[in-house]
Amino acid sequence: MSLCVLEEETFRHCCRLILQQSEQLRDGWSWESVQSVLVASAGADSIQGDIDDEDDDADEGVCTVSEGSSQVLQYEYHILYSCSYSTPVLYFRAFTLGRSLSLQEVWSSVHSNFSFRLQNSPLNTITQQEHPLLGQPFFMLHPCRTEEFMRPVLQVAQDHNRPVNYVLTWLSVVGPMVGLDVPLKYTTSHY
Amino acid sequence: MVACLLCCVVDNRKVSLPLDLGVCVLGIYSLCATGGRSSMADDKDVLRDVWFGRIPTCFTLNQDEVTEREAEPYYLLLPRVSYLTLVTDKVKKHFLKVMKAEDVEEMWFEYEGTPLKWHYPIGVLFDLHASNTVLPWSITVHFKNFPDRDLLHCPSNSVIEAHFMSSIKEADALKHKSQVVNDMQKKDHKQLWMGLQNDKFDQFWAMNRKLMEYPTEEGGFRYIPFRIYQAMSDRPFIQKLFRPISPEGNAHTLGNLLKEMYPTAIPNDGEPKRYQVVIHGIEPLLETPLQWLSEHLSHPDNFLHICVIPTPTD
Repeated sequence: MSLCVLEEETFRHCCRLILQQSEQLRDGWSWESVQSVLVASAGADSIQGDIDDEDDDADEGVCTVSEGSSQVLQYEYHILYSCSYSTPVLYFRAFTLGRSLSLQEVWSSVHSNFSFRLQNSPLNTITQQEHPLLGQPFFMLHPCRTEEFMRPVLQVAQDHNRPVNYVLTWLSVVGPMVGLDVPLKYTTSHY
Repeated sequence: MVACLLCCVVDNRKVSLPLDLGVCVLGIYSLCATGGRSSMADDKDVLRDVWFGRIPTCFTLNQDEVTEREAEPYYLLLPRVSYLTLVTDKVKKHFLKVMKAEDVEEMWFEYEGTPLKWHYPIGVLFDLHASNTVLPWSITVHFKNFPDRDLLHCPSNSVIEAHFMSSIKEADALKHKSQVVNDMQKKDHKQLWMGLQNDKFDQFWAMNRKLMEYPTEEGGFRYIPFRIYQAMSDRPFIQKLFRPISPEGNAHTLGNLLKEMYPTAIPNDGEPKRYQVVIHGIEPLLETPLQWLSEHLSHPDNFLHICVIPTPTD
């Protein structure tokens, strides 16, 4: 059971390792600490110090993908930690010519191999949701099946006594479905 | 009891019609608390009162919309526990009568310059943005310039259903590690949704009570599904893990939760109260056990939505 539970501390650690790699690969990931509302809203006399939030951290990456030759789509990806499901969650949005893509347009940019798989499992589909830290509309892949597909991977890693970066492994599964490729270089280095 | 009466007065001043139920919910609970024993019948009444809470609302068409003749305002009693886009078909029909089809895009709502997020329960939107204002609640209706950056699109009721079910699933992940919701069949999920969509209290609760069960020896859920909203914040809400029972075995109260999540919401001794802590239009006592609140004052999505708003200065 505990094998598949991602504690928040582990999530942070995994993200730190990804960031170290990302700095060398220069593919644009950054760590954004969202300040807690508690501090922001409180009067000066009652500030309690930085309040550490369950899910106040997000890894952000922006990458640009060309679609054909005419249209450039810009994707923005956020990796958040869900304390309800104890899993990472991928949020993203996409722009073209300054306007954001609709859900339909996002679906049409998903490769047909993936869209078949996604649509067949309604719980694992792309929906528009409020970004829990920014309050803005984002698309997301629902996390409630994450444990299911992560379990075999983590089991094999454990059986062979191999260290595994949960977040990186997870990202390499869910990322490509929505246009985010994880370079192989991330996994060839030592952790 | 005295504290209760004070709350009731506040609520009465705000609500001129006998539609908001704050008074009776609070009254019933205080009876349970002071009597030292809780009666099942009373608690069932609380569920009914929460379910049938209504907000009198006046919908006005945005002035910049192109119309063929003047649009009359439209009045409706909005169910607190439902969603704006689920209960406003009549509003849409009413305004479409005076508009040309080519001038109509996706409908959205605004209150005093703030776009209203349809995916929050109606009662939460009212408590957060319009508490302590005059009724009816005045909402502006738009058919143009959909604010992509602020609002989720809502092309059909199936989007609302997906959102609602996803909240119930998340709540059950917190309460029972998803065991109850996963053991339900598809038709059971449908029953929850249809109950809400068609305003059928008995249909909804026949299924929802399963989501409210917990092992007696544990004294409550694993974690309480809650969200704390505040009006003046960029951050939409606070949501963290919080258990109903302390490690020492005591029941956590609403006050315990706020102290940890939002300490400034609790007044210091001798200082004037700066914030109101509002659930379903009432201010529950801070001594109320959180587990009881979760079972009785949660919205149908199974989350306890708590609004922290500044105390009115007048």
